Amino acid sequence: MSSWSRRLVALCGATAFALASQAALAKDVHIAAISGYFAQGFGVSIVNGLKKAEKDLGVKVKLVDTGNRALDYEEQFNNIAKSGEYDLVFVMGWELVDALQKTAAAYPNTKFVFIDGVLDSKQIIYANFAQNQGSFMAGALAALMAEKGSAVEGLGDGKAIGFVGGRDIPVIRDFLAGYEQGAKTAAPDIRLDSVFAGTFDDPAKGSELTMALYGQGSDIVYNVAGPTGEGVLQASAAADKYSIGVDIDQCNVAPGHVMASMLKKADVAVYSLVKDVVDGKGIEPGSIHTYDLKSGGVELLLCPQVVDKIPADVKARLEALKTDVIDGKITVATVK
Amino acid sequence: MSDRIDSLLGQALAILFALGLGAIVILTVDESPLRVLVTLLNGAFGNPERIAGTLLQTTPILICGIAACISLRAGLFNIGIEGQLFMGGFWATWVGFSFNLPPVLHLLLAMAVAIIAGMAWIAIPAFFRARYNTNEVVSTILANYVAILVTSYLTINIFKRPGGLSETPPIHESAYLPELFSFSRLNWGLIIGLVLACAVHFFFTRMSRGYAVSEMGANPKFAEYGGIDIKRQIFVVLLASGAVGGLAGGVEALGVHHRFMEGFAPGFGFDGVIAALLANGSPIGTIFTALFFGALRSGSLLLEVDTTASREIITVIQALIILAVSAQITIKRRASDSTAGERRWKF
Repeated sequence: MSSWSRRLVALCGATAFALASQAALAKDVHIAAISGYFAQGFGVSIVNGLKKAEKDLGVKVKLVDTGNRALDYEEQFNNIAKSGEYDLVFVMGWELVDALQKTAAAYPNTKFVFIDGVLDSKQIIYANFAQNQGSFMAGALAALMAEKGSAVEGLGDGKAIGFVGGRDIPVIRDFLAGYEQGAKTAAPDIRLDSVFAGTFDDPAKGSELTMALYGQGSDIVYNVAGPTGEGVLQASAAADKYSIGVDIDQCNVAPGHVMASMLKKADVAVYSLVKDVVDGKGIEPGSIHTYDLKSGGVELLLCPQVVDKIPADVKARLEALKTDVIDGKITVATVK
Repeated sequence: MSDRIDSLLGQALAILFALGLGAIVILTVDESPLRVLVTLLNGAFGNPERIAGTLLQTTPILICGIAACISLRAGLFNIGIEGQLFMGGFWATWVGFSFNLPPVLHLLLAMAVAIIAGMAWIAIPAFFRARYNTNEVVSTILANYVAILVTSYLTINIFKRPGGLSETPPIHESAYLPELFSFSRLNWGLIIGLVLACAVHFFFTRMSRGYAVSEMGANPKFAEYGGIDIKRQIFVVLLASGAVGGLAGGVEALGVHHRFMEGFAPGFGFDGVIAALLANGSPIGTIFTALFFGALRSGSLLLEVDTTASREIITVIQALIILAVSAQITIKRRASDSTAGERRWKF
């Protein structure tokens, strides 16, 4: 047998082996995800993580779309749990909490993972994000840029940065605490003006508040306000100033005016939990898995439309601060 | 009699047409229509829990369907049942969590408030239809959006319970509409729906007032000539239809969810209208068409988990049924336009 044909055989053998081992894994691990949001923002990120797991780890994935009828949720959870087929069931969406808790209590052997939040139930597994760390980076970026002032195109010398929160609730305070600490650490002289819209559903109010912040000298405003925050981003385009996105990549909402997006990477969280199952690591019911800067679960994405305007020394400083947080030299405050 | 057989045949054809086209859609997503059908049946009727689940889905469609029947009989089209349901659901919940009353009394008061809320929500379109002949289809549809947004505003901004959820506090147990079995959320709402269907049927077929309403639906000019106060009757019929729409919301709030939240029960108002149209405006027929849609809905929940076909295939089938039914109505209307003059709908 000539050497190339031997090599070919070896190659085929290796491929066959790889396929076979994948097939063996595929038989073992079944993952389901249930949500009404697979087509948007955070949900898309979950689907991407699962697709990656399907491809790399050979697991079988089932997506269950809940639709929007509250009447349907409980039966859908029951159908998933009763089949006993799934090793892990990802759940995303607060409107599902009621059905989730009932089902988790009725089927203690099914492992449900609630994404982006922590509930009281000790039967459910939680995937949570270190939003305070991501916000720390956002605060550092905003403060460093504000310090540069009019040296950078589109910025003034107000030496201030802004924050628009949805409602004044602990989880939003957690973002704010990180943002504030990041700003003070990077540039102690920069003033932080923070406001709460009192609602997550009012883009017009978000716009209005942002305009007021711009008027008070802030040139960069961080939104943590859901749909209200869309108004913040739009205001930055209208006023020709800057804003920072949250949760998902919001760079395209107001291209050229969204400076960065603080990403909570559901794909990373989902993939790593699936990998734990595939690797045979048990996941304890009630355990809270937090995804932070270190694991890549949160990240500050500098928007491609703006990245060239950000001076090199600012980028370098950001990298250094990120390393400090990851190494534990800086502990970011948190609000529970 | 041959008329009735004709119309039954027509509805059967509408359903077959929709299922046939649905099968083609299923083939395009590489799934076997037969497997989908078996899964649907299993999901809808596979065991007692699933049968109860089907009846649970049937209940709001049935009650909304009866609301639609009442207006259709009079030649009116209340397509605002959705809004009346949201209003009824919200205010029944409000009574449920705001007051402390003895069990039966609390439930009855909450139900009564749901009915009044539904009536209040159709009162303005009904007034304008009766007094100024404003098209009730447009005004009731518009009222839907307002109802959904108003209840959502009240829920989020005024009555929200603490925590991350956009919902009201739960109602007190004294206002619960009792469940029928321990293994399902199926409740007395179904019985209410069935009794109501029979009562409305009796009203239209055995009582002179009911006959007067049908007469107006068949030929308003003739009815007016015959001495019926058309304006008053239009107002009262629409109010009755709205009352039943509100009741549907009350049943969902007090029987199933025990609270009100954003996206409370979207689409049931429209499902009810379709069920009533498919049943030719007959309340008894609506029992069966509502069961049909309830089974589709309930079966589709298992479909989503057990096959690669999406739950939405049911929405496609339902839309195709509407298409087939409205095509029939148009044809009938053309036919009756040439013979009977002014008929709006033929029932």
